[in-house]
Amino acid sequence: MKNASAYEKKLDIAGIAYRAARWILGAVFICASIHKILDPAAFARAVYLYQILPDGLVNLTALILPWVELFLGVLLIIGIWMPGAAVLSTLLFMVFMGALSYNLARGLDIGCGCFSTSPAAEAASIRTVVRDGMFLAVSLYLLCATFGAASLRGLRKRGDS
Amino acid sequence: MRNRERSPWRQALRQVPLIIFMAGVVGLGANWLRTDSLPLVGEWSVKTGTAGDSLAIPLAEAARLFSEQAALFIDARYEEDYADGHIKGALNLPWDDDVHTVFPEIAGAIPSDRVIITYCDGETCYLSYALAVFLREKGFEKARELVNGWTVWRDAGLPVEEGAAGSP
Repeated sequence: MKNASAYEKKLDIAGIAYRAARWILGAVFICASIHKILDPAAFARAVYLYQILPDGLVNLTALILPWVELFLGVLLIIGIWMPGAAVLSTLLFMVFMGALSYNLARGLDIGCGCFSTSPAAEAASIRTVVRDGMFLAVSLYLLCATFGAASLRGLRKRGDS
Repeated sequence: MRNRERSPWRQALRQVPLIIFMAGVVGLGANWLRTDSLPLVGEWSVKTGTAGDSLAIPLAEAARLFSEQAALFIDARYEEDYADGHIKGALNLPWDDDVHTVFPEIAGAIPSDRVIITYCDGETCYLSYALAVFLREKGFEKARELVNGWTVWRDAGLPVEEGAAGSP
């Protein structure tokens, strides 16, 4: 009995951490998407200034990426489609980090375009890269938790049958 | 029983494209419904200005406002660049951390309905854009940006001057 309750408690902590990771990332994506959805022209400008995408893809990215963020945020908070959401969230934070670091490295002085489309709000800097790294870490945890839990369930099932 | 639960990787492989597809449909649909729709493929080349961005002012219009003395030009570059040469009569308000302290000192002298044209140099220079957005946020609704301003102005043979004076 004692062992069982200790086991349950451990599971519960993992459950809380998992839920916290989902909600944090969900909130981050939803907050990040709002400004961009409301003002796609300003976000397109921010994307253009990153000077990474070919000109022909700038507007499409500016129109679609914010909705990806919004949907992803909602999925994370509700907790459905978790394998897809965890993979996509990790991929996005990796891409953001790559884009930010690339432009920092080549000394391009641009706005972050992260949580606000206004360049006056926040410049791309080491700080924004570090922040992205923290989100990436949470996302990687979520990825491991999602896939770990699923494969554990799979293993247990395999053992049962 | 064994195959009923799909592998999470296979689920992810199906879900990720679906999320992007749904976002694409909604994003493009929302853009289509907007009154100020963004063209799907923007003309981001420098010489034509910036697409879907009412902030950018064409050179011809900027030159006309200049000749009519109907606009205030603000150079967003750093002081050294400004001293080396700038649009005739332009103020210098470098876009850096000081802008938040310097700006209020000169803001009172500028009527809020004055057309302000900010500029810097280079097609991807971000200083003038940031400054124009900043000015709009401060209530100067008619702030515009002359993209790649110094280069296009000088190349067009429009009036320029040198010297550090004129800094606000």
